Amino acid sequence: MSRKLLLENAHIEGIRYYDVYRKNGGYRSVEKALKMTPDEVVEEVKKSGLRGRGGAGFPTGMKWSFIAKPEGVPRHLVCNADESEPGTFKDRYLMEFLPHLLIEGLIVSSYALGSNTTYIYIRGEYAWIPDILEQAIAEAKANGFLGKNILNTGFDCEIYVQRGAGAYICGEETALIESLEGKRGNPRIKPPFPAVKGAWDRPTVVNNVETLAAVVPIINIGGEEYAKIGVGRSTGTKLISACGNINKPGVYEIDMTISVEEFIFSEEWCGGIKNGKRLKACIPGGSSVPILPANLLLKTAKGESRMMNYESLSDGGFATGTMMGSGGFIVFDEDQCVVKNTYTLARFYRHESCGQCSPCREGTGWMEKLLLRLEKGQGKVSDIDLLWDIQSKIEGNTICPLGDAAAWPVAAAIRHFRDEFEWHVTHAAEAQARNFGLAHYADPLPVPEAAAV
Amino acid sequence: MIQFSEEKLNKVSEIIARYPEGKQKSALLPVLHLAQDVFGWLSTETMDYVASLLKIEPIEVYEVATFYTMYNLKPVGKYVFEVCQTGPCMIQGSDDIIAYIEEKLSIKPGETTADGLFTLKAAECLGACGYAPMMQMGKFYKEHLTKEKVDAIIAECRNVENAN
Repeated sequence: MSRKLLLENAHIEGIRYYDVYRKNGGYRSVEKALKMTPDEVVEEVKKSGLRGRGGAGFPTGMKWSFIAKPEGVPRHLVCNADESEPGTFKDRYLMEFLPHLLIEGLIVSSYALGSNTTYIYIRGEYAWIPDILEQAIAEAKANGFLGKNILNTGFDCEIYVQRGAGAYICGEETALIESLEGKRGNPRIKPPFPAVKGAWDRPTVVNNVETLAAVVPIINIGGEEYAKIGVGRSTGTKLISACGNINKPGVYEIDMTISVEEFIFSEEWCGGIKNGKRLKACIPGGSSVPILPANLLLKTAKGESRMMNYESLSDGGFATGTMMGSGGFIVFDEDQCVVKNTYTLARFYRHESCGQCSPCREGTGWMEKLLLRLEKGQGKVSDIDLLWDIQSKIEGNTICPLGDAAAWPVAAAIRHFRDEFEWHVTHAAEAQARNFGLAHYADPLPVPEAAAV
Repeated sequence: MIQFSEEKLNKVSEIIARYPEGKQKSALLPVLHLAQDVFGWLSTETMDYVASLLKIEPIEVYEVATFYTMYNLKPVGKYVFEVCQTGPCMIQGSDDIIAYIEEKLSIKPGETTADGLFTLKAAECLGACGYAPMMQMGKFYKEHLTKEKVDAIIAECRNVENAN
């Protein structure tokens, strides 16, 4: 049984409300943190090794330490609740069932950063969640944990919820800030970084929901204790939202010491592949991270078991590995078509491109068209090479990472499933009637020649 | 003439107060949501009214309203079905759900039924991948969709209409 730090109390009835949450140890971290200095709180988070849970995995304590503190200029903490990466629905779960955990984390983090006005920017489609959060905020305020002079420490803090209106790009921190300012979600050129010039040109830190919730157990048990959970630089626990062809889709908290195989097949987690089918492929960290065929997913190219943590998932780089990303874990069974799936993802990125940078604006639409043509059995083998060429020219050539996010899934699909793409061209009629199937994707990995003595 | 009620105007003031002084433009997204809730969609007249409330240029409202997918720039049906069609929903059969709604209501994505009751839209990832296939209907999600569930939802909407 994996240790739970965030979802430990999620099953308790009424935990959504202040009284029950408080009775179960809620808001202790605020009481503890407000007796420390803000710098000491930042230090605890640094010691914990917590890495941003939104997808990039940047060390949170370090991000906090970058915040500029010019005299007389207010600073802001903004919670990124614009969860929109296909496959990811963990923040929604946290906010819906444990709103006070997020509010508690926000109060402690606001104190550490000196933010007297903190915002939660939530995707517009989660339209019922602001009511839940606003109720939690009102309850926290009524009990002296928000508002003026919190716990008689002289620290003031207000939290406001702002709804987005349907734009994946607003999950990118500078686009989010633009949107918070009432503008189109066009990412800004960095530098200046938000920590220096963010919302309304004030120093701003933008953190993911899960990251900010994790601050609560870090303060409660201490940064050093938190760092002992997990492996290497993958400290603490991570929420994984599992979906696709598995028996038990849902949100799971793991301590990053289990293997991918265990996660997919154990009854404690995903419960295996649905309908007795076989595993074909998986996108383990949200749609933008590379898809891996079953064999490379379960074992690294070196033949080691692949584990559910940052280092192991990225072992082998993009050639044979993938990324932890946001923890949006999408599982595909033998009946799924990689070409069609890649097409829907390309369509998603074309739809979500803000249009600022030509490689992304033009490239995403071009890739979508080519992939649709291939999927419909009207493509040419040269289209596959063209796709490769386009994705390589988007990657790294845009202001924000949406370009990379659009390029990587296409690149990985061609890298590992090229035979399936070619089959759509060479067996065009058959490709309309049935799927390519499992092929050799689940076969044991060939032993590298050098090692085959 | 487009005009918020006293209550909604108070709400607008409350929203503006969340942001630093002089930065009332920041209230644009929430106020547009409010306007859409009240008037059903965002006409040029409505957007101009929002611009006047926030003391910004109308173009600043248009450019935002056209950027975000949730703002309706033309009238929509009373019930809007936004069916997610991205990867995780696609592999769970969202294409079939969209096709079934098309057939059942005789409309294509982007269209509204003649009686003005239903609009069908194909949406990109709504963050409910574990509960696929799914759609957004107004403020809430309808998850684990099947043809039977779609039938029940449509019947329920019609019942509400007939009762009114």
